[in-house]
Amino acid sequence: MFAGKKKKKGYEACSGCGVCLLSCPVWHRTQAMSLTRKARAKALQGGASFGEIAHSIDSCLLCGACEIACPEGIGLADLNIHQRQELNRQRAEYPGWYPDESVLKEKREKNTKAEFLFLAGEMLGKNNEVCLAIMEHFKGDKRIALAGDDGQDIARTMEAGLPLDGERVERFVSSLKPAGTLIVAEGWLHRPLRKWLPGKKILGVGEALLSYTAVRKHLGPEDLYVIESRGYHADHARLVLFYDRLRRETRWQTNLDLQRTASSTGASSLQGRKDLEASGCVENAGKILKGRDVKRIIVEDLADAGAFRPATDKPVVHLGLLERGNSSS
Amino acid sequence: MRDGDRKNILMTEYNINKEKPAPENSIWKTVGAQTNPSRWDGARWSSFVDHISARGVTVHAGRADTSVFVSDAGGLALGMPHGVVRPSSASDISEVLKAAQEYEVPVTTRGGGLTTEGESVAFGGLLLDMSSMNRVLRIDPDGMTVRTEAGIYWHQLAEVLRRDGLDYLSAPLNLTSSVGGTLGVGGIDINSPRLGCSADQCLSLKVVTPTGEIVECSTDHNPDLLERVLLGYGQFGVITEATLKVRPFTPIIMKYFYYSSLRTAVEDLQFIANEDAADYSGILTIMDKAINLLVAFDSDEREKGFNLRWRRHLRGHGEINFGLRMAGYYLTHPWRLREASYLIGRRLTLFPEFSRPEYMHDNKIVDRTVVFSRAVWKFWGGSKMVIPDLAASEEKFIEAVERGNEVCRKYFRHYTLYCVGIKLSGRRERYEMSCIPPDARGMAYGCEFEPMLRDTDYSRDYLQSFKNEIYDIGVDMGLSYYRFGGMMKGYVRKAFGDELVDKHREMKRKADPAMILNRDVIF
Repeated sequence: MFAGKKKKKGYEACSGCGVCLLSCPVWHRTQAMSLTRKARAKALQGGASFGEIAHSIDSCLLCGACEIACPEGIGLADLNIHQRQELNRQRAEYPGWYPDESVLKEKREKNTKAEFLFLAGEMLGKNNEVCLAIMEHFKGDKRIALAGDDGQDIARTMEAGLPLDGERVERFVSSLKPAGTLIVAEGWLHRPLRKWLPGKKILGVGEALLSYTAVRKHLGPEDLYVIESRGYHADHARLVLFYDRLRRETRWQTNLDLQRTASSTGASSLQGRKDLEASGCVENAGKILKGRDVKRIIVEDLADAGAFRPATDKPVVHLGLLERGNSSS
Repeated sequence: MRDGDRKNILMTEYNINKEKPAPENSIWKTVGAQTNPSRWDGARWSSFVDHISARGVTVHAGRADTSVFVSDAGGLALGMPHGVVRPSSASDISEVLKAAQEYEVPVTTRGGGLTTEGESVAFGGLLLDMSSMNRVLRIDPDGMTVRTEAGIYWHQLAEVLRRDGLDYLSAPLNLTSSVGGTLGVGGIDINSPRLGCSADQCLSLKVVTPTGEIVECSTDHNPDLLERVLLGYGQFGVITEATLKVRPFTPIIMKYFYYSSLRTAVEDLQFIANEDAADYSGILTIMDKAINLLVAFDSDEREKGFNLRWRRHLRGHGEINFGLRMAGYYLTHPWRLREASYLIGRRLTLFPEFSRPEYMHDNKIVDRTVVFSRAVWKFWGGSKMVIPDLAASEEKFIEAVERGNEVCRKYFRHYTLYCVGIKLSGRRERYEMSCIPPDARGMAYGCEFEPMLRDTDYSRDYLQSFKNEIYDIGVDMGLSYYRFGGMMKGYVRKAFGDELVDKHREMKRKADPAMILNRDVIF
């Protein structure tokens, strides 16, 4: 929001104002100042090593909200990943939630040429019902194809702070170039894709589906609409206005806080993928729901459905299934 | 291209910002050289930790746990606690304070850490990180009150209240002040001319006394303790819960008036406060060149009433009219074009923050506390914040502002003044030896003098000299200060006199025999 396109500041610019805490799901759940981005900056300013703040680095869910909140315009999203990279160089063993070899393996399927390419990602890719429902929305007037190679291995490698194979990235990026628009379910990939494919139109599933009146008409004031946090924060300046317009139109409730950052369950994080309960994602969902009078929860990110279901007896529906009136996803 | 090179390029492209160890000449490398010479020596620390650990209280003493508390928002006082406790209940704090009395371990309380004179910095001993006690316990929409744990930040409280269409009355505009910390010093907002300071909106408290008793207090029950703890600078107990008044949430309508004379602007500010002409009012300046009186309203009716009855009495200009006058001035004073350039730049970057489209609905600001607070951090925040202030009665205020402004001009090229009125609720005992000036009746006024420090490396001595000159005005004129603790505690006796300070010191000693609670702040 504040940083514009100029090079963002590093941790040494942290004044310790603590505004980043207010949007941090880890702090909200644990109350532990030492696990926050502010604490990591202060520790590094004081000369601490990455090993000394390993627990704090590993607790970060990489939702990206802190970068939006930071009034100093510090590039926190990049810094959080860089900390993982540095820590990986020092640590003897990886946490249990780090991705294993099978996840980091490149898919054999190739991408076909299409005007619209849908990168379903790990979870949606495994859920035929939701995936097909989403595809149906676009089939009327657009040429859309489901991506065979959705870059999941790249996303997980980067999120874990592990070394990235340049050739693999080049193959992936080249396969995306023919498409005019990419619909990318994995919010994590939005930020790097914008760097690798400047000018390419990159949409999240939410933004893509909400462009249809037929989808929007199913949303109302009794819905809690859960915006996928990583993609939202990666293009915040534009999307905050997009969702604000929709809020006025639908009068829905959302997971946006007063600073207009998206409260995250963390379900899409590496930790959440391993264990939603242990990583606090269910508790985070409960905090988002607390004090709200809603009858239904609509999610953009299928992983969020898994976090919300144990936290509520209200129906949890993926946006792609809204038109079917289906309460499962 | 070799594989290794290709990988490195991609990694570099992705990671714009690299974290590096602190440079050798960094101020943070000298943290060990505490800025307070009276750092506690750690005697009996281990026994103290064993004692409270045996009672279920966890002490965090690792570098990652303590280093985040190395300074406060002022950034000039540096100190580290021996350990940190994140209490989850009043009982935890009770155990800590009982043991601290026995082992004579200093205990520093900290909410958002937004003090500027080191009041929330621990120079050894134990730090109570109160931000862990941040639950909203009860909202009573019929009685329009909320009961909350006191470590909660006002912004967190607003998030919860908003789900019921409610809002707190007034709080500092910075997002990360805690309720407990604010009640201990006052709490000023731009609606304070109507609603008073935050502390005056408190109905009751749960307090852990310095000797560890857990006590509920209100105007009916233990009123003496209530009066000591509110505006008490953390000397007479740790606030763990508070019951506060709330109100319906409303977006606000803002209006700006521009002045080139400080005196005229302050007179109009006082006029608005005296006539209750607006729901919000305050002055924000760019040096003493562009003086902005902002007024705001909770409803269309209030705005209409202002336009009909009071608007014509104000001598400020609209933005275009003021801009033309300024253009005329600088055209005839071309040697001051650099100053004009600064004013224009500041105007162009600052004002759009107050009308960001995602916070504007129907020409009203929604979530004004977020809008103002984010602007405060973005344009006035930094690793060092020097904000001496003066609090005066209505009669003395204009002179105090003008004298303070002269000091700012002497020391800094760029600075801001922030003036606001504070409605008093009668003659409360809590006002004695507080930020409320002793001679104020009905209304007090405060002015913050804030230099723009960014990109200029002023020495600590230079900044301290500036602060001293501002504080000396207070001593000379018989004023008070919003921030009179911590590193400027030497002014407490000068400002209030030995008799009053000794009276409070005696009360403190009775309440806190080992003088362990927030010992470096006042006494």
